[in-house]
Amino acid sequence: MNQAALSLLWQATQETLLMVGAATVLAVLGGLPLGILLAVTGPGGILEKGWLNRTLGAVVNLGRSVPFIILMVAIIPFTRRIVGTSIGTTAAIVPLTVAAIPFLARLVEGALKEVDPGVIEAAESMGTTLLQIIYKVLLPEALPALVLAITVTAVNLVGYSAMAGAIGGGGLGDLAIRYGYQRFRGDIMLQTIAILVLLVQGMQMLGDRIAQKLYHRE
Amino acid sequence: MIQLKNVAKTFRGKNEVQALTGINLTIPPGQIYGIIGQSGAGKSTLLHCINLLERPDSGEVWVGGIPMTSLGPQELREARRKMGMVFQHFNLLSSRTVFGNIAFPLELNGTPKKKVRERVHELAELVGLTDKLQAYPHQLSGGQKQRVGIARALATQPQVLLCDEPTSALDPETTGSVLRLLQAINERLGLTIVLVTHELPVIQAICHAVAVLDGGTVQEAGPVVEVFTHPQSEAAQRLLQGFLTVSFSPPQLSPEGSLIRLTFLQEKANQPIISRMVRQHGVEVNILFGRIDQMQGSPFGMLLVELRGSPEEKAAALNYLQVNGVEVEVLSS
Repeated sequence: MNQAALSLLWQATQETLLMVGAATVLAVLGGLPLGILLAVTGPGGILEKGWLNRTLGAVVNLGRSVPFIILMVAIIPFTRRIVGTSIGTTAAIVPLTVAAIPFLARLVEGALKEVDPGVIEAAESMGTTLLQIIYKVLLPEALPALVLAITVTAVNLVGYSAMAGAIGGGGLGDLAIRYGYQRFRGDIMLQTIAILVLLVQGMQMLGDRIAQKLYHRE
Repeated sequence: MIQLKNVAKTFRGKNEVQALTGINLTIPPGQIYGIIGQSGAGKSTLLHCINLLERPDSGEVWVGGIPMTSLGPQELREARRKMGMVFQHFNLLSSRTVFGNIAFPLELNGTPKKKVRERVHELAELVGLTDKLQAYPHQLSGGQKQRVGIARALATQPQVLLCDEPTSALDPETTGSVLRLLQAINERLGLTIVLVTHELPVIQAICHAVAVLDGGTVQEAGPVVEVFTHPQSEAAQRLLQGFLTVSFSPPQLSPEGSLIRLTFLQEKANQPIISRMVRQHGVEVNILFGRIDQMQGSPFGMLLVELRGSPEEKAAALNYLQVNGVEVEVLSS
């Protein structure tokens, strides 16, 4: 492997890591509260509110039904407002985050709904406030599942980020298409794929291991 | 201590269920008060109405002079912190250790860390789990989990402990030890325990008084010994079937025989009253059925006997029994 190819790969890996890392963090900041809200306002939730739950659900479904490549282009004006440009790695983080928030929110909702209702009942019998139930019961009890949900989201973002090349976002996927496909550089194609595979494997393993550490059940 | 006035609760949904229809119940302080009934009788709903985990549709709930049913959300939370609750399936936080679970209610009311540690150790000692404080619930046996549940419920020094089928998920041996713990707590701390169960032996072992629930109403309530030996309501009689009533067809009695049921309570059960009666009054006794048991630690006995002798001898013998505090019931003569 020559110096030029190596530096291309290194650069692309950094871009992918930046996009995925930043979008994951932002998705947690947005998706976690949204998922909590979906779970607690849902049927049988501790703050049951039918209309709010249905409205949020509809918005989340809307976000999830738009294919990422279209979403990316469709929200260009929004992206420009937020980061000042619609081209480049930083700009790609915006649509990635927008796509990941509803995705993660649904996973969080599912994880929180798995928490034993009896434990919530016990907490209520001790005079907990709504926030105490969320912070001291729901989130800690669902923590292993939440870690796995975040892992799935991050892995998903690696896939999405491959499309970021369409708006000059760079990254490994972009490199594979521009060099591997369009310039017939099979070697670079293979190397990118190898890095992506390793990246996804590593992320999943890390997620599994953390979840396992936090899991205190049979 | 606890008073329910005309409490009613209906669950609406696909098919309406009238869980409680006008419950009136007074639970005196310091007692272990049992609520028994078959499944679907509404006993768990009744318990949940005491701390308003289920809000009654109508009626009033008073606990320690506080009108639970007319409290605002914040006042209700504070009132709940003065009550502990123990559950059939323990409902411990799986993400917390035994220490963390017992500490949970203390954290909620902002107890300083050092105080929390002291109190948790005190409670662990009370329930006999000092060596398990760092274990997670999944590493414990059912009985140990329930001990954690009890310790957690006692953490904030409540005046009332609500127990929802606390032993129904436990094996008989563990049931005994958990019941002894509840009894010890009642004696040592003097707190009122309300215990819901469908198992007669649980009531028999530790309860002072009992309410029999059926079809969403209290059919009968009173001291356990009274309700168990002289059930008045049909529901209570049905529940106690096999406990007192004898399920055999009456045997052929001899011409001079009478079928008599004798009930011995307290220390009477320890004395040789029957043999003295036989010696003094010249009657013969044929024991057909018997049961000697304990209720809250004091002996209790029931005998079904055939008494043979002349009418005068039998009358004198029965009189002797009554004078000596044995309850006599002539079933046929």
